[in-house]
Amino acid sequence: MNGATNLAPILQLTGVRSGYGDTEVLHGPSIRVGDGETVVILGPNGHGKTTLLRTISGLLPLRAGEMTFAGTPLTGRPPDAIAGLGVIHIPQGDLLFPEMTVLENLLMGSYRAPAWARRQARLEEVFAFFPRLGERQKQLARTLSGGERRMLAIGRGLMGEGRLLMIDEPSLGLAPVIIEELYRRIGEIKASGRSILLVEESAAHVEELADRVYLLESGHVVREGQPNELLADDALLRTYLGVD
Amino acid sequence: MQNLVQATYSGLVLGSIYALMAMGFTLVYGALRFLNLALGALFTLGGYVAWLVAGQWGLAAMLGIVAAFVVVAFVGAGSYQAVFRPMIGRPGWDITTIIASLGLGIVIENVILIGFGPRNKSIPLLLEGGFRVGDLLRVQYQQLLTLAVSLVILLLMGLFLTRSRHGLAIRAVAQNRDAAYLVGTPVHRVFAIVMAISAGLTAVAGVLLSAVFFLNPGVGLAMGLRGLIVTIFGGLGSIVGTLYAAFVIGLLESYVSMYLGARWALPALFAFLIAVLIVRPGGIAGLAEEARV
Repeated sequence: MNGATNLAPILQLTGVRSGYGDTEVLHGPSIRVGDGETVVILGPNGHGKTTLLRTISGLLPLRAGEMTFAGTPLTGRPPDAIAGLGVIHIPQGDLLFPEMTVLENLLMGSYRAPAWARRQARLEEVFAFFPRLGERQKQLARTLSGGERRMLAIGRGLMGEGRLLMIDEPSLGLAPVIIEELYRRIGEIKASGRSILLVEESAAHVEELADRVYLLESGHVVREGQPNELLADDALLRTYLGVD
Repeated sequence: MQNLVQATYSGLVLGSIYALMAMGFTLVYGALRFLNLALGALFTLGGYVAWLVAGQWGLAAMLGIVAAFVVVAFVGAGSYQAVFRPMIGRPGWDITTIIASLGLGIVIENVILIGFGPRNKSIPLLLEGGFRVGDLLRVQYQQLLTLAVSLVILLLMGLFLTRSRHGLAIRAVAQNRDAAYLVGTPVHRVFAIVMAISAGLTAVAGVLLSAVFFLNPGVGLAMGLRGLIVTIFGGLGSIVGTLYAAFVIGLLESYVSMYLGARWALPALFAFLIAVLIVRPGGIAGLAEEARV
């Protein structure tokens, strides 16, 4: 195996099964994120990427398998307790507080006690990071554009001072300029030493960012490896992601 | 003219009490999406706590209001943990919680009946006396105090919901429960806090109204109905809509009582509500999503 995998895992998933109602979506993938590592999960839409993040953050119940974060089992914990451990799920932009202002949304990101005391300092950082959010801090979240919502979701995640950021498809439905800006920001978050688990449909922006890549198809991990091997394999990408 | 002025004034005083009462329904509906029909009984319970503290033990009447808020808030939070929390999220919970709240209300009313008997009681007035404004208006200090207490509490609620960490959390849970979970909000604890605050507000309304009229184990029923009318008229879960609705309903009731007689008040309110709902099914604020909890 390669160097990055030698890092002590901060997140360890083993044989995770989960889904909605009678439909099982995740058929037991095992995934690991090292401390300080950036792991990208690539896969087509509808193959379990969002389900995976929702299962880790506790919004969906785990049906079988094990999940540990920094050695602590996550199984059976409510989502607020999992967030309290430092697992921050940054959703696609649909899980904001629509009738609250940008500022109030960000403050809610610091809801947990230790982060709440430092919310002013975090706010300044987030506004420096995404000046657009600073300009719109009095605006209701539901009035924001798609790109601004994504910035707000990431900003809210940064307010939480988490140890692991799980980011759901930052590029979905956004203009290329905005995608590039978002990925520059995510690169800076990575440089700050935090662990990142990012899911994406497209391999276009993740090659430089990722330390390690998983391919998730139909609820299974079909490949795992270094980005330079996996993403250079055109045949592989064509097969699993349908790109040319 | 004299009647009109007097009725308008009484309507505003009534409206301020209804606003407290309906805020209880609205907060719970906004955050938990269920109508807590036990609030009528908690209104009554608030009156009895104040009657015990101020009427029987002879302590300051203001202390009676505080005691009513605290005691009934605990009852509200306790009812969440014991009765409603196990139901929420289960299949059919929207119906089971309503039925359970109705049952809980009946239990509370009957406990009051057994404990205190059926006879009318009166809570000592906080302030005696009043003054006249020419021939137009008779003002009791008690009524002014009622207005003041209601408005101050509503103002504090507004500040709490927009400025404080727990207030933000209540609105967050109301707007998107999953998102609230993701930022680490202990959703069930927030629900318990909402139930406590709403019960406390209702109890204060109970004290204020019982100090003007009288108190018996059944007073909560009619008030619960008025609270519901205001809440639905205001657009279920909309705080600003509820405030408008409380004063509209208070004024309407006051005019009907003045010109047609008090017995027509409740029928007229329901007729008005039905007419409004035919035209605007979402109540006055139901179409605009803004200002939800």
